[in-house]
Amino acid sequence: MAQTPTDAPERRTLRVKPTTIEDKLFFGISTAAAYSSVVLLILILVFLGIRALPTFEEQGIIEFVFGSGWVAIEEPPTFSIGPMLWGSVLVAFIGVGLAVPMAISLAYFIEFMAPKRLARAATLLVDLLAAIPSVIIGLWGLTVFSPVGAHWGQMLHNALGFIPIFDNTAENFLRTPFIAGFVVAVMIVPIIASVTREIFSRIDDDLIKASVALGANRESTFRKVILPVSASGIVGGVLLGLGRALGETVAIFFVLNLIYDDVNWFNILEPEGGAIASLILAKFGEASETEISALLAAGVVLFILTLFINTIASFIVAKAQPWNNR
Amino acid sequence: MNLEPVARPKSAEPWKKTTANARNLQIIASLVPSGVAAAAWLLGGMDLIVSILFVLLPLQLLAIGLVGLILKGKRGVPDAALVVMTFFFGTFVMVLLLSVLWSVVEAGFSALSPQFIFQNNVYVTPTTGLEIGGVGHAIIGTLLVVGLTTLITVPLGVATGVYLTETRGKSRGLIRVLLQAIAGLPSVVAGLFVYSMLIVTGVSAFAGWLGSMALVPLMLPTVARVTEESLRLVPQELRNGALGLGAPSWRAFLMVTLPAAKSGVVTAILLGVARVIGETAPLITTTFAAANTSFNILEGGLATMPTYIYNYISLGFDTSISRAWGAALVLLILVGVLFGSARYISRPKSLTPKKKKVKR
Repeated sequence: MAQTPTDAPERRTLRVKPTTIEDKLFFGISTAAAYSSVVLLILILVFLGIRALPTFEEQGIIEFVFGSGWVAIEEPPTFSIGPMLWGSVLVAFIGVGLAVPMAISLAYFIEFMAPKRLARAATLLVDLLAAIPSVIIGLWGLTVFSPVGAHWGQMLHNALGFIPIFDNTAENFLRTPFIAGFVVAVMIVPIIASVTREIFSRIDDDLIKASVALGANRESTFRKVILPVSASGIVGGVLLGLGRALGETVAIFFVLNLIYDDVNWFNILEPEGGAIASLILAKFGEASETEISALLAAGVVLFILTLFINTIASFIVAKAQPWNNR
Repeated sequence: MNLEPVARPKSAEPWKKTTANARNLQIIASLVPSGVAAAAWLLGGMDLIVSILFVLLPLQLLAIGLVGLILKGKRGVPDAALVVMTFFFGTFVMVLLLSVLWSVVEAGFSALSPQFIFQNNVYVTPTTGLEIGGVGHAIIGTLLVVGLTTLITVPLGVATGVYLTETRGKSRGLIRVLLQAIAGLPSVVAGLFVYSMLIVTGVSAFAGWLGSMALVPLMLPTVARVTEESLRLVPQELRNGALGLGAPSWRAFLMVTLPAAKSGVVTAILLGVARVIGETAPLITTTFAAANTSFNILEGGLATMPTYIYNYISLGFDTSISRAWGAALVLLILVGVLFGSARYISRPKSLTPKKKKVKR
């Protein structure tokens, strides 16, 4: 048995904490900056919450969120965002429903089919288009796309009008959820496509080669290898696009007719719809104090909705991209 | 037990060259349906989108599917369907997206002129011709507002990125999730937040700096995340080398890690600016649009490009719409320049020739 020498130096403790003032400052500053985002989120929730509280108390939370009607001049005023909430969801789902197949096709084309030069140009273009301000998309939707979309809507109504979804009683096909959904789709396709393309490009090449070596063709490689590997990443990208679509303000404001007292459940060709963000924009200009409070309450509901979706999205993306969580 | 060898599917012979016949068949199958659809559109008077959806698409599917069946057997059919659908959706969405770009460029150019860029809006009514008045004041306003946002956000965002990569902080996962959550904050809610915090409480009236405050939560996640990613690309050996030579952490970061990640950090800043430069809703709820040129970001009206576009679309006259297009083109050029420089700075640099990528 080894004898511990009595004159051995004292056992040193390994220190990993910063010791000098400068290092403490360096780590302190970065930690403080990181926690600023926590503070920011709490500030946003607290201030919006305080201002919105009177509305929630007067109208009742359930009635405010799910009821309908927005009358500011009566006494007492009625504020309910049911039609707006459903309208937001409806437009976002039309947009996402149109955008997902297009975005995945685009990403697949760029990553696996296009010649290298074309692929590089298309990648650049898609990334640039993801950065286009939504007010420009709104301008395009209002002046260029609306007439075309109304024409498509009319044809859809003429051909399939017997199905309630495509019913239209107004003889006017402008400013419908259908058009708003298309405009939103154009806005979020580049976002979803660039996320999907990124995921596709990170797929292990060996997987695809192995699939081809086993005799798979293009289609079965896509269905059995590429899609399952990248599915959660794509879902994350889609949810990010969905969050964008729900929060979109200006573009929808220009191309959608807001109806406050009646929920348009599914008549996507009827020029009636709603969107919470656009409601805020529409009513903000000449709102009284109580109405401002109601608008802030609507903002809180919208924020909670998008927060929910984005949290799910970030969890899914984090699971799908293990290389990001070192 | 059946030990008969399984017949090799036709498509599993990739070494076979495509014969001239097969190639001709493919070319015919790709051209005929579009010819029929074009005839239905031009001669038959069919609507363009109807002829594409109900003539071109089914015919194309049928033709390419048949060719697949002939050349590769049963398994060629879903393959053909995949190719056709990919092409169809991809082309359709590219046409929509290019239509956005093209209409901005086309309609914007007719409004663009030197005075449109340099003059302000003081003597302009909604129906004034395009000879006078312009977006000069709005460009200055946007530069001021976004500049202040950048000044606030960049130190915060870069330091957050440093926290996420350089430290062993306990709440890195939480911060990452929160950043993602803030990234999804609807822009109008960001505007309402500043409105309820600073305007309703009487701290300030509508002013440019409030717009900057509203843009901060929108820009912060982009800057922080891209910074984080670029810092992560710096090899760990560099840091360890600096620390091993006895540098304290802050010196190792400032003199080794940061210079190595410089282009990535610059890219983060540029992408963040591109993210907020076109934001409209937060500025509408916090700044007061003005027609005159103003350099005062602390009080009074300050016009910005997005609110300028928004106002002129809302007016709805022909001339005001063309002003909006012109401003949209200017804004798009600003975004494009930012984006292009971000790309240029972050382009992969290598002294050795790049490894050839294996073709799929």
